[in-house]
Parts: sequence; structure tokens; C-alpha cells
Amino acid sequence: MTVLLEGSSTSAAMRRNFWAGVWRVMRRKPSRLVGAVLMAGFVFMGAFGPLFYPDPLPRDVNQLTRPPSWQHWLGTDDQGRDVVALVVTGSRYVLLAALVTAVITVVLGTGIGLFSGFKRGRWDTVLMRITDMKLTIPGLPLLLVLSTVWKFSSAVQMGLVLGLLSWGGVARAVRAQTLSLRERGFIEAARGLGLSTSHIVGKELLPSMAPYIAMNMLIAITGGVYSQVGLFFLGVLPYESNNWGQMLNTAVFRSGALTVPSALGFLIGPLLAILLLTLAIVLVVDAMDEIFNPRLREE
Amino acid sequence: MSKQAPGVRIDGLTVVYKTPAGELPAVRDVSLTLEPGSITGIVGESGSGKSTLALSLLNAVQPPGRISAGSVEIDGLGDVVGLGGEQLRKARGRHIGYVFQAAQNSLNPLKTVGKQLLDLGRSHGVDDLRGLVREAKELLGRMGLDGARVLDSHQHELSGGMRQRVGIMLALVLNAHVVVLDEPTTALDMITQANILKIVREVHAERGLTTLVITHDIGVVAEVADRLAVMYGGRLVEQGPTREVLGSPRHPYTRGLIKAIPRLVGDIDEARALPGRPPTLATVPKQGCVFRERCALRMDVCDDVDPEAVLQGTRTVACHAVTVKEHA
Amino acid sequence: MTVIARRLAGHLARGLVMILVVATISFFIVRSIPGDPVAANVQKLIEQGMAPQAAEQATRVLYGFQPKGTLWEQYVDYMGGLFTFDLGQSVTHAGAPVTDVLADAAKWTVLPVLAGTLLSFLVGIVMGVYAAIRRSGKLGDVLAISGSLLHGVPQYVLGLLLSAIFATLIPILPADGPVDILFEPGFNAGYIGSLVEHAVLPVATYALAAYGGWILAMKSSVVTVLGDDFILAAELRGMKRSIIFRYIARNAILPLFTILALSLGLLLGGAVFIERIFNYPGLGLLLIESITMRDYALMGGAFLIITVSIIVANIIADLFYSVIDPRVRSGEEVSA
Repeated sequence: MTVLLEGSSTSAAMRRNFWAGVWRVMRRKPSRLVGAVLMAGFVFMGAFGPLFYPDPLPRDVNQLTRPPSWQHWLGTDDQGRDVVALVVTGSRYVLLAALVTAVITVVLGTGIGLFSGFKRGRWDTVLMRITDMKLTIPGLPLLLVLSTVWKFSSAVQMGLVLGLLSWGGVARAVRAQTLSLRERGFIEAARGLGLSTSHIVGKELLPSMAPYIAMNMLIAITGGVYSQVGLFFLGVLPYESNNWGQMLNTAVFRSGALTVPSALGFLIGPLLAILLLTLAIVLVVDAMDEIFNPRLREE
Repeated sequence: MSKQAPGVRIDGLTVVYKTPAGELPAVRDVSLTLEPGSITGIVGESGSGKSTLALSLLNAVQPPGRISAGSVEIDGLGDVVGLGGEQLRKARGRHIGYVFQAAQNSLNPLKTVGKQLLDLGRSHGVDDLRGLVREAKELLGRMGLDGARVLDSHQHELSGGMRQRVGIMLALVLNAHVVVLDEPTTALDMITQANILKIVREVHAERGLTTLVITHDIGVVAEVADRLAVMYGGRLVEQGPTREVLGSPRHPYTRGLIKAIPRLVGDIDEARALPGRPPTLATVPKQGCVFRERCALRMDVCDDVDPEAVLQGTRTVACHAVTVKEHA
Repeated sequence: MTVIARRLAGHLARGLVMILVVATISFFIVRSIPGDPVAANVQKLIEQGMAPQAAEQATRVLYGFQPKGTLWEQYVDYMGGLFTFDLGQSVTHAGAPVTDVLADAAKWTVLPVLAGTLLSFLVGIVMGVYAAIRRSGKLGDVLAISGSLLHGVPQYVLGLLLSAIFATLIPILPADGPVDILFEPGFNAGYIGSLVEHAVLPVATYALAAYGGWILAMKSSVVTVLGDDFILAAELRGMKRSIIFRYIARNAILPLFTILALSLGLLLGGAVFIERIFNYPGLGLLLIESITMRDYALMGGAFLIITVSIIVANIIADLFYSVIDPRVRSGEEVSA
């Protein structure tokens, strides 16, 4: 009887199962729902947030570097601008750059990992040596050194550089996945059926790895946010538009947020944004892990 | 050289596993007696509950499973199901030896066999550790190995057959007289298989053991066992002296199993696989006979009533069709 | 032994290539900086009244390669200097050799990071075992989620938070520099006490940031070992709990030692943010200052030494692993 049921399951039923699985996972740990909502909030903020504020932001010269108040929930910066407004308007640069980083990381990493694991042989050796090397060179110092010749003027440029520097981990992981699918006879079986390489990669390998790649992409987004905020925070980059990292830099090194309590709000704003974004992504990745990883589901 | 081999009486044993669908039985109402000094073989497909039954002998069913009913009486030890804590720990190894499947890595990969032997001795309060090592070397030598060298080796330096002999040594070195062998020859090549079985037979006789062999391979049982028990879907469907059961199987499942073995002589087409698949924990029928889905002798009564194990001469069979025929 | 020797040779070869690559990157970055600081330096010295020959010589000493000739000649000159440990001189440190400046800064990085790493390792391992054993309970959940969060949050966020809380809101700990300038440097209680006091926040930040990784790694390692057959086998042989626990612990911790050795490679370059926040004069701060002050020889040197430490750690990690794991020792391939 069960055999019959399994045999007749259509893709519609599978999709229903998928959403049922999502729902079950969410309900088992409601905190994950919080993660999903937070994430949606950040997407909205990056896409539409700046539309709610005038450009440039109004300056209140009577209120420079003030602690949180009813009027300014997180206080004001050293030019009398509202910190909340700064965080929201600054999110576009940060999130856009992080998205570009993540896309490049995942596309390059997946491409190289797939190619390497699929072709094996000499290509594999060469590519993996390069990947190893990339993983060995310390990322942040390299970025710092690069910043002397490269001015990351736009969000897209910033994302591009970060993406080009961070595909190594994904490439390794995707290669390992490809090899393990190969070991299970996946590829040989498809070959035996006379399927073309593009079909095997596009229709068989990629879909089976899609959830994994999606999770990597989310993690790459956090990586992108951390790196660029960190770079701006260290103060080695000139900046044109305001963003979280530049806010941290000004708060700490210009307004002395670490010695003057009144500037703390200025510091807390971007920190809170980063913490919430991390929380959102950790929770969503945790949920995805359980939805797509059957081993964890059986508890 | 030692005390009388102990007998083991399993009575009404039921083991359940906790699943999202509730507690499901992996072993249901199994009664089996291991005569002192005998070798009993349990045969079944994977998922038949034979490994769970083997673990029950040491009261070692792993969570989420648990023994929910029945008893396992061992002479000189009492009911194992009632044991717990230190008492149970000391019984394991000292009274009952357990030999793992050869393919499984039953040794700590980071320590030499000798050091693990000493750990075993210390766990069981052996004072004369030198004597223990001597005994281990003797056992290994008896099985055709260079004892000193093996004790000085790590697991990865031993072949499958050697590991299996080390496993047997560790099960016996504390002088246990009930020994459970779980798939002792699976994943070994044919020659090593034959060797291991020979060792099992000889050591069994020399040391006066009561032995239980769990396997999916009827050939293994035919080779070593005095008595044979067949498991299906958590039930013991037939048991009796090995020769009789193999020579004239009564339960339709036993018959199917034997028919499925290809003969060396004769037509290969005569070997007939059983139709259908063995049940899993989730698909095993809640009531009625567990085998009816695949049974050629199915009757109406099989749907509702679980056949009782009926003693017929030297053996026990749990099948409505067989019982009806006997009485007709 | 031959196995280990072969692995070592492979590592050394790869390490050498890495050093060449990094040095090359440094060289070409200095050469492609807008405004050509090297030529500008020669020009400046000539304008100050130096003979062209002398100006070129002075610039060569400064940057580690001669300011004339083709790019290739300059490159060869620079690389040649590397093998005699000549990394040039630091403009911002009154012309002191870059190697001296680096050595001086290294101690401010190595000690706090080493302390933080070991602290987080010990605590993380113990908590990881708990998280694994209680993985289906509340405690396990809390440990795992807090581990993920700490692992996920960047170092500078933790550093800023700790600093904001313990140095600004409740000012009980210093967060500016490595020591109070009031004290005479030397072996006296005041100086040492001040050193320790100033190290608390940087070390705590580093430890907290690294802790998440350790607890997650240890948890998953213990869970893997718990599922291994030999643990059940030991149980069925009636082994004592304490002995089984030792079996689990030793097998679970083994892969973590490798990560520990690897993470020691980050000793030199892993504290950039912390040093910036707490104004700690280590290599990270030196790297940032060299960039903002346009001290390119120093920048190249700092970048190089940070990379070299990672390469060395990789080699140590691998050798270490071959020593503690009997399987590698005897040359058998161990699938990770």
C-alpha cells in the first residue's frame, strides 16, 4: 500500500510536502519564524528604506552626538543626524554590496567546484591548488593591502572585490559534494542513460545541491556585510555614501563613543543592525538545514 | 576447565522503538531457550529484529528502543532485563561476551589492542593483569595469530579476519560462558569465513560455551548451529534442530528462504526469490500474521489472529496453515 | 618516518610558493600605487640636495629594491632582498629596519591572542561535550545557538560591545593601549598589573569570538564519535564509564587539535580589529598604520609575516596530526 502511495506521488504532492515540512520545522522552534520575519525586514529596509527619508538627511545643529531620546531613538551623530535614519539609509549600500559579494562568491565557487569535481584529473588538481592558496592568504590583511590601490567607490565595486576574494570555501565544499554524488554513482548512472553533460549538471547535480548552495549564499551575505563594515570601520577606505562601517568608525574614532557615554547610541545603532542580521541568518540557515537535511529531521 | 555451560531462557520478550508514530515493536513476544553448551543460530533478513534480540541478551537495546515485556534468564546471573547500573555493566563481558560484525570497527582506533585489553581488565577489577595478557595471547594463538604482535597493533593494522578474532578474544578473555556473535562472517572473504566458523566451533567446544549466532546467511547456521530459529518481522516463526528445520521446513517463510538458495548442482532457475519485501518497523502489520502479505498459504484467519508458536515434536512453528494441517 | 618526511617536503615546497606569491603581490601593489611613491621619493631626495646616485641608493634601502631599471629587474632585486631578510626600512619609524619594527610589534599580538585562543579552546571543548550530551535538551539548544551566534558575529562587534559595556558604561576596565604610561616599564608589580589589566578586554574579545567555533566543532565531533561502533562495543564489553568517556574524549578532540594548530597561524594576523579597538600596538595595528601613513615597505613586511605565520602553522598542524594519530603515522590514508 505504501509502495503504491510513493509511486503515485506527483510533484504537486511533493511541493505540498515541502511546505508542510517548512511549517513543521518553523513550528517546532518558533524562533525560526522570528528569523524569517527579521530577514524580510532587512530586505525591505535595503530596498525601500532610503525612500522614507529626505536626502541629504536633516541636521540638527543643537543636538550633536546626543544619547537616545524620544525624538531620536538611538540619539544623533556628530552632525546632528538621527542615528536610526542613518542606519536605515546606510543599509542600502551595505546590503547591496553584500548581495553582490554573495552572488559572485556562490556563482564562482559553485562553477569552479562543479567543474573541478566533474572533470577531476589535471584540472581538478590545478584548481584546487589555487583554491588552497587563496584560502591560505589571510583575507583581511590582503583586503587592507589592496585598499591602497583600489578605491571601493560604489557598492557594486565593493561587492565585486569581496566576491572575487571569497569564493574559495564554497568551491571546496561544492567540489566535495560533487565528488560524493559521483561516488554514489549519480553521474555514471546519468551517463549510462545517455544524458548530456549540460543535462547532468543543470538538471541533476545543481538541483540536488541547490539547498546547500542557498545556505552558502546566506552565509556569504553575512560574510560580505562583516568584511565591508569592518573595512570602513578600520578607516582605511574613503567613503562617499554613509554606511554602517563608516558610522562605527566615526562613532569610535571621531566622537569617542568608547569614552563618552553620550555617543554610545551612535555606536549601538549599526551594531544592533549587524547583530539582528546575524541572528536572522543564523536562524534561517538553521531552519533550512533541518528542512533539507533529512538526517536532522528524524529526531 | 570451568563450570558447567549456562542455559539461557528468553521468555515473551518484546522490544519496542519509540518513533513519531508511537512505540513500534521490533521484537514481539519471542520465547527461545538456549540449551547449555549448544550453538543456536538466528536467521532473518535485515529488519527482522534479530540484532535487537541479540542486544536484549545483554539488556543493551539502544534508545529510542526499550524492552517492554518479557525476561531473559541466564543461569548464574538471573533475569538480565531486571539488571541495571554496575551489576549490568559487570555482567557484560564477564558473563556474556558479545562479538561485533567484522565490518564494524569495534576497537578504539587510537589505542593498541593490548591497551584496550588492559582497560577491559581494569573495568572488571582483574587484579592479575599479567595473567589476563597471558590468557589473551593464548586465545589469539589458539586462533592462529601471533598474540604478542596483535596486542601491540592498532585496529587499522589488522585485517578483517584478524579483527574478528580479536573481537572473539575480547569476548572470551574474561571467561564469559554465554557468547553472542552478531553477523560473525559478514564482509569477510570465503576462506576467512570458513576459518572463523571453524574457530567458533572449536572454541565453543573447548571452553564449554553457550553460543548464539545471529546471521542472515543460512549457510553459516547450517555449518555451526545445533539449533536454528527463524525470525520474520520481529516474530520467531520457526525453531528446531538445524538439520530438521533445513531438511523439512514447515513455516512458509522458512521454505521460501531455503528455496531462495541456489544449489551448486541442478538448475539455477529452481532458486526462487521470495516475492515482496520484508516489512520495516513502520510497515509490519499491527495484528494478524506478520508474514501474510508474502504468504502462499494465506487464509482468512491470518488477517486478524497472530498465530501462536506451537510445539510440534522437536520444533516450534507459528503458522495457522501448518497448525491446521497437523490437526486435520 | 619517510611518510612524515615526504609530507614535510610537500608542505615546504607549497609554503615557499605561497611566500613568493604574497611577496609578489606586495611588490606589485607598491609599484602600482597611484603617484608612484618610489619615484616620488627619489625626486624628493634630489630636490633636498642629494646627488641622484645617492638618492637612488637611499630609496633602495628604504623600499628594498632599486628605483630604476625595468619592472623585472626591480622585482628580482626585491625578491633577492627577501632571502637575506631585508624587507627595507620603515619611513614612519625613523628609518628603522622593517624586521625590527615587526619583531617589536609581534609580542603585543602574540601574547594576547595566544592567551585568548587557549582560553577559548579549553572552555569551548568542555562546553562542546555538554552540548553534545545534552543535544536534545534545553541546555544543548542554548549552548548550540549561543555558539552559532558568537561564531557568526564578527570580532569587532564583540570588541565594541565589550568595550562599550566595561570601559564606557561601567568603567571598570581600561580599553586604551597595552599599559598605563604612569608605570615604569620593567619587572615591577605596578607595570605587570597594568599590563594584565589592559589585556583583559582584548583577550576576552578574542576568546569570546573564537569560543563559538570551538563549541560547535567539539559538539559535532563528539556526536560523531558517540555514533561510532567502538563506543557501543566498549559498552557491551562492560567497560567502565570513565574509560568509555576517555575513549570518546580522545577520539573527539583529535580533529580539534589540528584546527587549534591551524588557528595558531592566525596569531599574527587575527587581531587587526581588536588591536584597532583597544589601541594595542601589535602587528594588526602596525599594518593599518602603515597603510594610512603610506609606509609601503612596512606594509609589505607586515603582510608577508602574517602570511608566513599561517603557512608555518599549516605545516605544524600536519606534522602534529601525524604524531598524535597512529593511522597517519603508519602512512595509511585517513578519510576525514
